[in-house]
Amino acid sequence: MQDLAVALESITRVHGVRGAMVVSVSDGLVVAESLMEDIDGAPIAALTASLATRLRRTTEAAGRRQPTFLHLRADTGTVLAVPSSGDLLVVAIGEQDVNVGLARLEMLHLAERGI
Amino acid sequence: MRALEPWVEAPLATFLAESSARLTLLMTSAGQVVAQHGFTRAFDVMSAAALGAAIMASTDELARLMEVPAFHALSHQGAHYGLFLSGFDTPRGRWIGLVVFGPESSLGLVQLFFQRMVADLVTVAPGPEPTGQVLGEDFEDELNASLRTLFGQ
Amino acid sequence: MSLVNFTAREITCKIVYYGPGRSGKTSNLQYIYSRVPEGRRGRMVSLATKGDRTLFFDFLPLELGTISGFATRFQLYTVPGQVYYNATRKLVLQGADGVVFVADSQARRFDDNLESLQNLQENLLGHGVDIRDLPIVYQYNKQDLPSDLILSPGELDDALNFRGVKSYGADCLSGNGVFETLRGISELVLKRLAAGSPVA
Repeated sequence: MQDLAVALESITRVHGVRGAMVVSVSDGLVVAESLMEDIDGAPIAALTASLATRLRRTTEAAGRRQPTFLHLRADTGTVLAVPSSGDLLVVAIGEQDVNVGLARLEMLHLAERGI
Repeated sequence: MRALEPWVEAPLATFLAESSARLTLLMTSAGQVVAQHGFTRAFDVMSAAALGAAIMASTDELARLMEVPAFHALSHQGAHYGLFLSGFDTPRGRWIGLVVFGPESSLGLVQLFFQRMVADLVTVAPGPEPTGQVLGEDFEDELNASLRTLFGQ
Repeated sequence: MSLVNFTAREITCKIVYYGPGRSGKTSNLQYIYSRVPEGRRGRMVSLATKGDRTLFFDFLPLELGTISGFATRFQLYTVPGQVYYNATRKLVLQGADGVVFVADSQARRFDDNLESLQNLQENLLGHGVDIRDLPIVYQYNKQDLPSDLILSPGELDDALNFRGVKSYGADCLSGNGVFETLRGISELVLKRLAAGSPVA
């Protein structure tokens, strides 16, 4: 768990990222987190896991492979997610001007390591 | 969905829509049903309420025995369905929620929207129900007739 | 306390069958279950050990019908009788609207009856309820056994029934007295409601 927290810091170091989590997709629960104090991770974990599940079903229904990167842009910020092996999801919460490219790279790196 | 009191309906409906729960039951801590969704037989609802209240009462007692603060919620994960049980205080006394959810939902979603439902219920709940006369003085004849029917006598 | 819903016009009451181990609490519910039409009762839930001793409780929901314009339901519970299951007994008693104290009429079980009655009183007090304020009836079960083995209802009344509440001789296996007992406690519980006692 200590390693995971360290690994998440490689994501939170990216410009504009305010927090990162590893989330269990089937439970929608936080497995590990590194978040700024004002961020409540539990609701984001539950809803992002639900979204990732629905998107996977959508791409499956469309005959496509499962999504490898989710990027949600809102007026005041952004949520990024990368499915990992098994049942896990790497999630990052960022500002509007987050460096998406670098955050994605670090998230994919963590996901590919097999967490 | 069926709620004994109308003010419970809106928060419960929101919870059901958001969480995609299969079965939901709200009950008093003594196991009396307050609202339910998804059950098809009234008697099954009562049995589920009795069992849910018993589980919560047991965990409360375990906490007391172990001298730790009360457990607010517990969950059971099955192969296909999960069960979430949680106690909470309302202006009408302590209630318990029992939720059964399938793969279209998750424990995280259920927990999240359950907390919101509890906050909504506490906000909209009227105060304690007034006490007063419930049955007419002549209820005994009807009771005897009901019991005769019940026992075929 | 009884759950009374004025909008839906429904009343739900909780009745607990209490008494020493093997006095016949579960037999009461089993007889009621066997005699009540299917549409008026739910499944009987029994949390029992392999030896058929009640571990937590038995539960039987009954639909009494409409009384004074209220759809009236009774929830019948039993408690485990063995002394060491007191924690679960106390839990089941919580919120009870009425109690049926099922005593074993056998003379050799007399002390067990007395102990269970004292235990009932203590557990009710633990919930902040004075036994004198709660509807209660006594049932003296196993009255079918040979007379030299048992005490008569009169003798048991003298020894246990200090408050002079209603009592019924019974033989739960054949069903004698079961219906009368249920009628007795139902009347008391509903009378209390009719008198305008606080409702939850």
